[in-house]
Amino acid sequence: MSSPEQPSLSNQQSADSEKTTHFGYQTVDKGEKESKVAGVFHSVAAQYDVMNDLMSFGIHRLWKRFTIDASGVRPGNKVLDLAGGTGDLTAKFSKLVGREGKVILADINSSMLNVGRDKLRDKGLVQNIEYVQANAQYLPFEDNTFDVITIAFGLRNVTDKDMALRSMYRVLKPGGRLLVLEFSKPEHDIINKVYDFYSFNILPKIGDIVAKDGESYQYLAESIRMHPDQETLKSMMDDAGFEQTSYKNLTDGVVALHKGYKF
Amino acid sequence: MHQQALCALLEKIINEVLALNVNGLGALLPLEQKTLTVLLAELTFPLSFSVDQQQILVTSLTERSDCQLTSSIASLIALKKEQQITELIKQDKLELNGDMKVAQQFAALFENLAIDWQSELAVHIGDIPTYKLSQFSLWLGEKVKFAAKQIPADASEWLVHEKRLVVTRSQISSFNQQVTSIADEVLSLQARIEQLAEKLTTTPSTTKI
Repeated sequence: MSSPEQPSLSNQQSADSEKTTHFGYQTVDKGEKESKVAGVFHSVAAQYDVMNDLMSFGIHRLWKRFTIDASGVRPGNKVLDLAGGTGDLTAKFSKLVGREGKVILADINSSMLNVGRDKLRDKGLVQNIEYVQANAQYLPFEDNTFDVITIAFGLRNVTDKDMALRSMYRVLKPGGRLLVLEFSKPEHDIINKVYDFYSFNILPKIGDIVAKDGESYQYLAESIRMHPDQETLKSMMDDAGFEQTSYKNLTDGVVALHKGYKF
Repeated sequence: MHQQALCALLEKIINEVLALNVNGLGALLPLEQKTLTVLLAELTFPLSFSVDQQQILVTSLTERSDCQLTSSIASLIALKKEQQITELIKQDKLELNGDMKVAQQFAALFENLAIDWQSELAVHIGDIPTYKLSQFSLWLGEKVKFAAKQIPADASEWLVHEKRLVVTRSQISSFNQQVTSIADEVLSLQARIEQLAEKLTTTPSTTKI
């Protein structure tokens, strides 16, 4: 069998009840998930970029470029790169918004934020970037602040996704857009099977060898399966108040880019 | 995502080449924060070249364009000759929107590129192999130049003189027709002679001696 058994729909629903949520395939208290996710990212932060290249064969760079191209960012814009991790999107946005613009790299995890800050400073990107340690559910910004908000490979780790989407909607300027780049559900069964085999059999082994942490990458595979599919996430964005929501499948839906506007 | 792959590749190549420019990256200063968007007939997506901090970013964003150029690859190649710009615009092969100076500055940036290939190559393969390779490339260049001159000269010589001596297809066809016609005539003559000969042998002689 290529993948451990996924919890049934009723289990998922109960996992998403008021007091509990899911951490991979486990059901945990909502308060507990945050610290567990933090543990995963403290553990993988140092090897995060190397692992991203290895796991995705470098394709994550093209997914991120696609996100940049879809952002419609202009010089002078204010961009929030949520769960920005090691700052791949921030680096590009920083160059595109120019001196008059600003990019906020926000992440709940201090280790990821430190790795991102060091990396961007080493690249000489200092003048228009700010770093904020923040929880996506309680964004510490005023209403109507940002022209563009991106969250790449971060939403599935958030404890209360609906609350996070509402928070993003609040801080987005009218006319602004939210871009959610996240793992999703492959469109074809054959791809799904290959992807499952890769995620549950090969990925944890790569994680074990490179990052010395197979468990975190087992969590990664499980959290991807537990993340809402394309249509569900789209309706969650609609519920949060976003308009003209749409999504584009990338690499047969292994990853999807969701887009929504605030008017 | 092929467009993102192309953008990434172009960005890598352009910045690597610019880093080798012996004139330095000063040429990028007037273009700081400027964007040129190129819409090529051969591509279904735009290519935007933005300058930031001595680097060129290649994206498919059109929102921040200072100058938009709509053309085809063939017309862009023709643009090398500056006087062609007006002509190409008149022929609807080139369309420029926005600040034309930005397009000119981008063009000047690449026209003024000067790369010391020998020094760059020597870093990787050493001085002597670089010297040998450059000598070989000079020799090869001369041969190619000579061939480029000689081949058209030989070709024109052949066209002007030799070709006249060569029998054409229509001449061969006409000759074949003549041969066939003579063969037919010979056959009919042969038949006639045979008829006459037969008559001579079968008809009794009426001549009295």
